[in-house]
Amino acid sequence: METGLLVQMLLGALLGLSVYLPLRCGQLSLATPGFYAIGGTVAALLSTRVPALGSGDAFYPIASVLLEMALAALLTGVLALGLGRVVLRLRGIYLAIATIALVEILRVVTLNLEFTGGALGIFGIPQPFSGPEGYVGLTLILLAVVCWLCDRLEKTRPGRAMAAIRDDELAAASQGINTADTKLLAFVLSALVAGVTGVVAAHFLNSWNAKLGNFDASITTLAFVVFGGSRTWLGPVFGGLLLTALPELLRPVGDLRLIVFGAVILVGPLFFPQGLITPQLFQTLWRRMERSAVPRPQEGRP
Amino acid sequence: MEGLLQLLFNGLSVGAVYALFALGYTLVFSVLGVINFAHGAIFTLGAYFTYFLIGGTVGANGLMAGQQLPFSLPFWLALPLAGVGAAAVALGLERIAFRPLRERGSDPLLALITSLGAGVILVNLIQLLVGAESYSIPVGTLEALPVAISIAGAKVRTVQVLLLAIAGLLLVALSIWIDGSRSGKALQAVSEDPVTAQLLGINSGRMIQIAFGISGFLAGVAGGLVGLSVSIAGPYFGIGYGLKGLGVLVLGGLGSVPGAVLGGLIIGLAEACVPADLSGYKDAVAFGFLFLMLLIRPQGLLGRPLAEKV
Amino acid sequence: MSLLQVENVGVRFGGLQALQAVDLAVQEGEIFGLLGPNGAGKTTLFNVVSGLTAASSGSVRWRGAAIDGLSSHRIARLGIARTFQNLRLFNSLSCLDNVLVGLHQHGRQPPLAALLQTPTFRRRESQLRQQALELLSLFGLDTAAHQNAANLSYGDRRRLEMARALASRPQLLLLDEPAAGMNPSEKDDLKNLIRRVRDEFALTVLIIEHHVPLMLGLCDRLAVLNFGQRIALGSPDQVRHDPAVIEAYLGGTP
Repeated sequence: METGLLVQMLLGALLGLSVYLPLRCGQLSLATPGFYAIGGTVAALLSTRVPALGSGDAFYPIASVLLEMALAALLTGVLALGLGRVVLRLRGIYLAIATIALVEILRVVTLNLEFTGGALGIFGIPQPFSGPEGYVGLTLILLAVVCWLCDRLEKTRPGRAMAAIRDDELAAASQGINTADTKLLAFVLSALVAGVTGVVAAHFLNSWNAKLGNFDASITTLAFVVFGGSRTWLGPVFGGLLLTALPELLRPVGDLRLIVFGAVILVGPLFFPQGLITPQLFQTLWRRMERSAVPRPQEGRP
Repeated sequence: MEGLLQLLFNGLSVGAVYALFALGYTLVFSVLGVINFAHGAIFTLGAYFTYFLIGGTVGANGLMAGQQLPFSLPFWLALPLAGVGAAAVALGLERIAFRPLRERGSDPLLALITSLGAGVILVNLIQLLVGAESYSIPVGTLEALPVAISIAGAKVRTVQVLLLAIAGLLLVALSIWIDGSRSGKALQAVSEDPVTAQLLGINSGRMIQIAFGISGFLAGVAGGLVGLSVSIAGPYFGIGYGLKGLGVLVLGGLGSVPGAVLGGLIIGLAEACVPADLSGYKDAVAFGFLFLMLLIRPQGLLGRPLAEKV
Repeated sequence: MSLLQVENVGVRFGGLQALQAVDLAVQEGEIFGLLGPNGAGKTTLFNVVSGLTAASSGSVRWRGAAIDGLSSHRIARLGIARTFQNLRLFNSLSCLDNVLVGLHQHGRQPPLAALLQTPTFRRRESQLRQQALELLSLFGLDTAAHQNAANLSYGDRRRLEMARALASRPQLLLLDEPAAGMNPSEKDDLKNLIRRVRDEFALTVLIIEHHVPLMLGLCDRLAVLNFGQRIALGSPDQVRHDPAVIEAYLGGTP
């Protein structure tokens, strides 16, 4: 497999996690590509316009990439905090549509602004690594951190509150859960993950334009989660890796590949309405492993 | 004065297309409570159908390069036929992407994904067959009609008048059908409460099919009209309309038929009012409206208030 | 001072007057029953008290302080817990997790400790689980702890909802038709269980139930609602012999 594809797959997994976080508390937000685009734009602007960050060096310093990440996180986090307060009052399909609108407005604005490079975007984003291998390392670390955070979140109090809100928001509020703040937490975390992912993606792709955060991206990233499963963080990771790789893996079928891709998205939810990776799946696997791991009584005796 | 009238016509004719488009969304939403994300692809198909039915030739790309139908129809016949073709595709879409979910009692939001998958298939199928280039339906198609007519001193393109007239006709026919006919009333009953409607002897499944059929027809015709008045800008050109249609839908109120019409006209007019030096921001108008509406009045201009039962 | 005071509360839904000038005062430690035919406004009153429905007029006082207008999670945090007439469990969660969600307000831990899984964090989490399991076993649900709430029998789901409500260690427990769908012997057990819970948890209970014998046997005091108005208030004996109640609710039979 091409190393570049591996990086894209890992970025896909990160975006899947970004969509997953609000969805885990029942909020269908499609704002991920918007925050991703903001992260990418921050990285593209800083690294090409601020020479002090080291764009003249042979390799762009990793420390500068980390600084971009921090700034992108700050910007997307603050933005999500403000927007989330407003849009999270909406439910179900209304929230989905409102976030689509946000992403589209952002795209149109980016397209028309002078300093974001208009329709062409920003080129020549400096490279911190000599090849894609470096990016594999960086995205792997990032993915590991986000997965670890998600895992801790799921197994603790805020995670339980999120699951409760997904099942029944009103009953959750009756248990003393501040549903507005809990949903906001998920929304802000989702934005942070998307923003930071955008920073890495901008360097990896070497150029950045408004198209990268469009409606197609909204739906593709949602497909990662629906396909992989939205009950545990492993679902979106799996879905992101698989669905990003799929069009490339289908290259041998040539022009048919996007049609096959569409068919996979169409058929997936019909046969796996909960996604491919579910907690039940783990329970079954676990039980099987336990059964085969327990030695039979006769064995072990001399 | 002439400029104003021109503006009005531009806005109304674009708005009429938006209204036709959003009506399809709203019909499906009213019976299923979900958005059909393949609606843009159906619209695109309608445009291509019209182009080929009037005898257009496939360009240099795609598997069908250089081919054309053995006959050519006049536009007034090709347009409704293209609508019927689009309706047939919409029915197939319902069968493949929506009905299985309903039969299994799955989360209705999954239909967002399945319909999107179907849309991806349709769009790429078009690209595979006839290539990604843009096609335009020649204005000569309208034969005897002049290119432009003059109304109250303003020069207005005949296409726009035609577009407005056809859209208006369809909207009137649709509202007469919904309010006046038995099946129209049954459709309303299903949108009110599918289970009760079923108990009252209304075949919900059938009404859902009818909603998809009409929605496909309207989208197909809208596609053909846009193809005539602007052009068919490649297989993806319906997606932009699909997104703006969401704005129209929310502005008017999800599930409201008159709301879709009102929303379409408002957004069409508002876009026409964007000054030329800001034309790049035109595409943001619908979304701005959408966003504000959701914040101020999520049920839209003519929708019913949203309430949750305890 | 009464624990909960409902003063002159009215609720209008469009043209429907669901509650009209209802007055009640619930004293600490009592089991207070709300009786009335379907549509009398009992659940609406619960919704007003728990912050799900806004009263159109009047006010609700908790230990003397007005609580109307507070969001439902704030009211829950004051110590008012409730169950729902049509059961609102977290169906995709296990019974244990349902009760753990009920313990939400008592499980707060510093985020960093949760991320790093410090020993203190682990100890607190296992205490919480222990408490949840104890509650489950009080309701005879300990063996089902890891089952999904959706897979329980109807009676068990009712009991799980009570366990979840108790997990927040409320001072006032609102029970909305807890015996619905239970068989006669389960209903009898329920009566004892509610008494036992009241004593063990030092609770006040406000209960809606249709089963009149159960209510007369269980409650210290009762209020009867009809068409949104309170038509009687008093001890089971007083209510049983109240002519307005006999007329409206018991349909004339003594």
